[in-house]
Amino acid sequence: MSDAWYYARRYPLGVAGAIILIVFVLTALLANVVAPFDPLTTNARASLAPPSGTYWIGADMMGRDMLSRMIHGARISLAVALGATCIGSGLGAMLGLASGYLGGWFDLIVQRIAEIMQSLPLLVMALVITASLGPSLTNTIIAIAIPLIPNVARVIRANVLSLRELNYVEAARAVGMGQARIALRHVFPNTLAPLIVLATAQLGSTILTEASLSFLGLGVPEPYPSWGRMLSESAAEYIRSAPWLVIFPGLAISLVVFGANLFGDALRDILDPRQGD
Amino acid sequence: MMRSRLWLAVACLLATMGSAVAQKQGGTLRVTHRDNPPSASVLEEATISTLMPFMAVFNNLVVFDPATRENRLDRVVPDLATSWALTDDDRTLTFQLRDGVKWHDGKPFTSADVKCTFDMLSGKVASKMRKNPHKTWWFNVKDIATDGDDKVVFHLNDPQPSIMALFAAGFSPIYPCHVPAAEMRTHPIGTGPFKFVEFKQNESIKLVRNPDYWKPGRPYLDAIEYTIIPNRATMLLAMATGKFDLTFTSDLTPELMKSLQEQAPETQCVLQPTGTQGNLLVNRERPPFDNEQIRRAMVLSIDRKAFSDILSRGIFDVGGVDLPPPEGRWGWSKEFMETVPGYGADVEKSRDEGRRIMKSLGYGPDNMLPLKVSTRNIPDYRDAAVILIDHLKSVYIQAELEPLDSSVWYARLARKDFSVGMNIQGISIDDPDATFFENYLCGSERNYTSYCNADLEKKFHEQSQMKDLDARRKLVWDIDKTLQMDAARPVVFHAKAATCWWPRVHGINIAMNTIYNHWRFEDVWLDQ
Amino acid sequence: MLDYILRRLALMVLTLFGVSVAIFLLLRIVPGNIADILFDSAGMIDPAEKQQITKDLGLDLPLVEQYARWIGGLAHGDLGYSYVSEKPVLDEILPRIPITARLAGLALLFAVCTGVPFGVISAVRQNSWLDYILRVFSLLFLSMPSFWLGLLVLMAFVNWFGILPIYDKAPPTWGAFALMLGVPAATVGLRSSALIMRLTRSSMLEVLRQDYVRTARSKGLSEGAVTFVHALRNAVLPVITTIGIETAFLFGGLIVTETVFNIPGVARFLVEAIRWRDYPMVQNLVMFIAVIVVMVNLIVDIAYMFVDPRIRLRA
Repeated sequence: MSDAWYYARRYPLGVAGAIILIVFVLTALLANVVAPFDPLTTNARASLAPPSGTYWIGADMMGRDMLSRMIHGARISLAVALGATCIGSGLGAMLGLASGYLGGWFDLIVQRIAEIMQSLPLLVMALVITASLGPSLTNTIIAIAIPLIPNVARVIRANVLSLRELNYVEAARAVGMGQARIALRHVFPNTLAPLIVLATAQLGSTILTEASLSFLGLGVPEPYPSWGRMLSESAAEYIRSAPWLVIFPGLAISLVVFGANLFGDALRDILDPRQGD
Repeated sequence: MMRSRLWLAVACLLATMGSAVAQKQGGTLRVTHRDNPPSASVLEEATISTLMPFMAVFNNLVVFDPATRENRLDRVVPDLATSWALTDDDRTLTFQLRDGVKWHDGKPFTSADVKCTFDMLSGKVASKMRKNPHKTWWFNVKDIATDGDDKVVFHLNDPQPSIMALFAAGFSPIYPCHVPAAEMRTHPIGTGPFKFVEFKQNESIKLVRNPDYWKPGRPYLDAIEYTIIPNRATMLLAMATGKFDLTFTSDLTPELMKSLQEQAPETQCVLQPTGTQGNLLVNRERPPFDNEQIRRAMVLSIDRKAFSDILSRGIFDVGGVDLPPPEGRWGWSKEFMETVPGYGADVEKSRDEGRRIMKSLGYGPDNMLPLKVSTRNIPDYRDAAVILIDHLKSVYIQAELEPLDSSVWYARLARKDFSVGMNIQGISIDDPDATFFENYLCGSERNYTSYCNADLEKKFHEQSQMKDLDARRKLVWDIDKTLQMDAARPVVFHAKAATCWWPRVHGINIAMNTIYNHWRFEDVWLDQ
Repeated sequence: MLDYILRRLALMVLTLFGVSVAIFLLLRIVPGNIADILFDSAGMIDPAEKQQITKDLGLDLPLVEQYARWIGGLAHGDLGYSYVSEKPVLDEILPRIPITARLAGLALLFAVCTGVPFGVISAVRQNSWLDYILRVFSLLFLSMPSFWLGLLVLMAFVNWFGILPIYDKAPPTWGAFALMLGVPAATVGLRSSALIMRLTRSSMLEVLRQDYVRTARSKGLSEGAVTFVHALRNAVLPVITTIGIETAFLFGGLIVTETVFNIPGVARFLVEAIRWRDYPMVQNLVMFIAVIVVMVNLIVDIAYMFVDPRIRLRA
């Protein structure tokens, strides 16, 4: 407990980020309870209703309550952020671990593939992948996750390379431990800290990528209330007559990504003070 | 009503008087464009994205009188044809062609060009065009013959008064025989008031004045420049700050029009039917939708007024296949519409009926029929589909949206690989010969739901041959009613949208029942 | 040294080959092709006509042959024809490259010119209020969707100044020209600026802790001179290395910014080309971008080797 207090005082910005993230996650989990309206029910009379006592932050063109849509939208953003980060970092870590530890041909091939993927602009890759898989929540997550893999793989590999030569790993090898066991029991735990730091840093950018994809007409499809979709072309045209349609989802995205970044920064300072930005 | 008519008359009078004295020569008209046209070839496309910018490059045989605000059969006037005549059996139509007209590349225009254009269009000759979307329009043309350089004779299978409307459509320009189809897609050559200069993909289109235009003194403008702005928020701001003179036609929803006029009160807007209608596609071959009962229940769940209210604050029209009055010439009257099932004012009653049908089939609140509503992944389609899904819930149908990329949408429709679809489709001429044959003929490529009713098809032909317009309208109403009752492709709304311009633009005359056929720009001038 | 460069060049060719195969296959996996799209505007598909188009464009050939044709053409400098405009790909791409290059260049310039000084200030005044404010703002800029920011910027300009800084082929005044270039560049560059600021700050902090800076200080050089002359030179190195990564990263921002500001550059064009399934256009554009990214990385690495001898030894 005193530990927590110590960190909280040392990293006030990190605490702020954590609070934002906690509120965000709670909102997403409790969406059904918190949201005042069903986010999908259309209502002709409330079309483009300005903020009022009933619709706190207005209603969209279909007369759907914006607040309820934003609250349910937190779920989509959470799913995208967690899903894409876990898949991307998980696969990346596995490849990086294997490639760093095994070396040789495998390493060479993984390195080349990573380089190829990094030569393609991230958004372009995501665009082509969503286009080929078709728009859906799962496919969006996959499309955002895949471009994350090479970066994670490279960082983990570099870490593994420096760990491989350390004494205790040598010792384990001398004792006759199996390669896979050494990799999992001794090398992997030591790459956890940079992995967590890296993954947190990516949480925010996955949400932003989803927003960009949705803005370009791909990404999570209607009627799911994704924040990115809410900002997309059909809402943007009301920027002057119904600015609440554009301002609030944008604020929500910025705030959550901001929270994730603050938290990620603090986490990096705590877990891995030597890793640069 | 009387008052507004009077005003309209006065305004028209003033407009004609004004235009008689004050037109100014010169200037570049700057127009926004909503998206990248697939090509510059008007004959090969069916989209306004191609037609609006490139119509001014061409001429037709005849046109709808550009001075009136309604496209109708009795207002077809000469263009490249100076006169026309029908033989007594109404089966031979002869056009007398204008003399001394030249193509933009200097070659003379002759009857061979007309023959060659319609040979291609009607599919008589294997065409070099990549596609021919309006082929169904010319089902009745038997053959085309030239009679010297200045006469063309069309032989028809049956009498067809409406064929003149088809000749007058923007989509029926005369093409030069000597220019290959591929070149017409990238660098079109016509006889029209403006010459093509350049078309930069996703960027701009530029036309300049044709100094040798056959109509003396026209056009007034030196040039027309379209800038492609796909983002509508940007387009609206650009229009409001006066960077452009004219918006793309019907590019502004009623809500956006309001927004523009709040920002720039001087701008003038015309809100009119866009010629697009939202309709419900139900695959009648795929179970359980082969069951007529289920199709009926689905139709009964639709609250057309809600669609109109949500999508346009009540501005979209409700009707059958043909555009409803007052703008449309062939749609149902209000009284007649009340007699069509599903169009009554009492939606709850219809939905009760729908629920009763579904219950009799074993569905209910705890046993909803799951289905996917496929639609194109663009906002207009998606918005309509979302409302449809909401309405279907009222008859125990739990629908999920399946947004499809544009590249997949028609391929899926063509393969009949869908259960239920939300479709928006364009109709460029307010005439039953265009609507019925294109979309409801057995085996027509645009007949997505494979609706096929031989008896009704006979009636299509019957109405097409009728000369008495009132009698024809009666028959058209009945056909339309049958189509809706059979749930061939239930029509949900007729969209409306606005075209706006700054007051410095003069001479724009927009017909109220189409967005397609009045973009030749030969009478438009700028007061700068 | 030469060995190293040659090896890097060989690897580069290998990478580009991989990119070409990847984009070629990815595009073929995407459902629908140009023939489907062409009928999109016609509202129907005529199977016979569709088959003819497919044949004319060689889309019915085996994949290996299609690929060989493309690469074979590329080797001879023939990029093929766009499926949509039916004009040579080169004619379509070339006029658009300077537009995007100018935007990207200005954005990077903006990012460096603001990111580095603010990063230095932040590091020198570590843990001061100024440092906190700068750090929070840089994080905030990293958190905003760039198209949203673009829309808000557009709105702000229209509301407050009555000016719309969107693309204009012939801007009426020099001021309008400057705004037309500057505003979108600053909008895209803001993100990179924030990144560079954070990088500069952390590497600057590391350098400031090192011995030679302390030595210089103890020798009595003034505080300002120490920081700028000694520390900055070393601190900027890691910033340079990221410029390569930044180029690829910037591209996503360019796509949406070009859309919002209606700039007819390659980035937006690429998205349109993907939408139209215009294979020759997408393939060649992606290759072009990959070449740029790979080249920038190579140049940065080589430049780095000249500056930092440690790397030269490792190589």
